[in-house]
Amino acid sequence: MRTRSHEPIVWSLFGAGGVFAALLGTMLVLIIGILVPMGLGFGPDAMHYDSLRSLFGHPLPALGLAVVISLFLFHGAHRIYHTLHDLGIPASKRMMLACYGSAAAGSGVALLLAGMLVVF
Amino acid sequence: MSQTRTIMIECLRYDPEQDQAPHYRTYEVPFTDEMSVLEGLQYIKDHLDGSLTFRWSCRMAICGSCGCMVNHQPILSCQSFLRDYYPARIRVEPLEHFPIVKDLVIDQSDFLGKLESVTPYLVPAQPLTPEDGPNLQTPRQIEDYLGYAQCINCLLCYAACPQYGLNNAFTGPAALALLARYNADSRDAGQKTRMEVVNAEEGVWGCTLVGLCSEVCPKHVDPARAINRNKINSTQDYFLRFLAPFGRGS
Amino acid sequence: MTPAPKTYVRPMNRWWMRHPAYRRYLLREGTSVMVAAYALFLLAGMVCLVLGETAFNLWRGFLQSPVSVIFHLAALAAFAFHAWTWFKVMPLTTPPLRFRGRPVPDRMIFRAALWAWGIASLVLLVLAMRFL
Ligand code: SF4
Ligand code: FES
Repeated sequence: MRTRSHEPIVWSLFGAGGVFAALLGTMLVLIIGILVPMGLGFGPDAMHYDSLRSLFGHPLPALGLAVVISLFLFHGAHRIYHTLHDLGIPASKRMMLACYGSAAAGSGVALLLAGMLVVF
Repeated sequence: MSQTRTIMIECLRYDPEQDQAPHYRTYEVPFTDEMSVLEGLQYIKDHLDGSLTFRWSCRMAICGSCGCMVNHQPILSCQSFLRDYYPARIRVEPLEHFPIVKDLVIDQSDFLGKLESVTPYLVPAQPLTPEDGPNLQTPRQIEDYLGYAQCINCLLCYAACPQYGLNNAFTGPAALALLARYNADSRDAGQKTRMEVVNAEEGVWGCTLVGLCSEVCPKHVDPARAINRNKINSTQDYFLRFLAPFGRGS
Repeated sequence: MTPAPKTYVRPMNRWWMRHPAYRRYLLREGTSVMVAAYALFLLAGMVCLVLGETAFNLWRGFLQSPVSVIFHLAALAAFAFHAWTWFKVMPLTTPPLRFRGRPVPDRMIFRAALWAWGIASLVLLVLAMRFL
């Protein structure tokens, strides 16, 4: 009798994060880091405090941002965990806890912040 | 008659009765255009050093026994030609990730155990007798598994898989591809037994999709595809058992 | 039974030096470090947004700095390579698809994914220009 792996849980999160990162990641980075700061297609007022506050005051954008952050974190945690094993740092309970634990913690913070943005 | 040229073949040598660790020996091998790497090795054995040990049988890429590494690439030595490497020298080593028995000969017993573990034969739903007649399949049903059924157990895919090298508990490419082959067969009803192997840590979850296994396979079995499709099945199986704990079908 | 022969097992150290495919694989996995880093960067932005205008302007001001541009160019390369490799192996993970009775070739799935990438990016850009 072989023991069933619990990998499907983290693999699903990793996969969902991978899809989001692949479909949206490049444009997200391009907008935030290149187009907006250089004013290409965006005015100097783009991404100002007031406009972002009002945008993320709505539950849907706020939750969307939190979910994207959370899935990116799980995607990263999963690959980092396995790649460390590839590089010779053996997979262990502690390593697992460190990787997926921080992703879970980050997700918690993101959801909490999203809630605060909506409520306050 | 094509002209004869000379290629340097650097060969890993290991004699379990003499050596603590392997070493390399270089041979000058005259070759003609139609000579394979295997024939180069045979030249060494016949003319230069009779103690060189390696496996082969069919010389036509079907028995799967002549696999070795050439310049770190797993290949069938009967299917690779010296002319394609010349003028560079080549380095011939036994298949990676397996224990070396002598020179280019590896110990495959670990793989044989894994092969056995995937129930690599048809498990009929009810016991059949010859009176039941032939077990017919449509062309479409054959197509479902024919690709996976081409495996010749040459183990090139294991030599290409760092996950197997890092952790020998991993069931590995060919065995998991054959698992998928029998699961995909309309005459088979053994999915449930095999699912246990799929779901285990040493099953499909030992794979991180490096993907080289499928590239080196001389029979285009595509083990990476077989394994990663079963990750989806394993994930479904993992979550669906909470929804339908009773009377789960195959 | 005859005793098992003495065998030699070669070590795995620096295994990625043995084949270019291994280095490509590690590079692909390495993009995940950037994905996680970018998530933390966005999370920092969220924290600042909650803290108030002064804090947020610090984060917003950082976007203008050369360090940020370099970080974002690196992230851009990582996300693009991630997307490319992700779509490339996608046909291996999708269940067998058929169209008019024939299996859909891998290259069609890859091409469809590239289209989805383009469309999703365009939609995101339009939304950003409308709402940011
Ligand atoms: S899957 Fe391909 S490479 Fe692996 S043992 Fe079978 S034929 Fe050889
Ligand atoms: S000798 Fe049979 S496969 Fe090469």
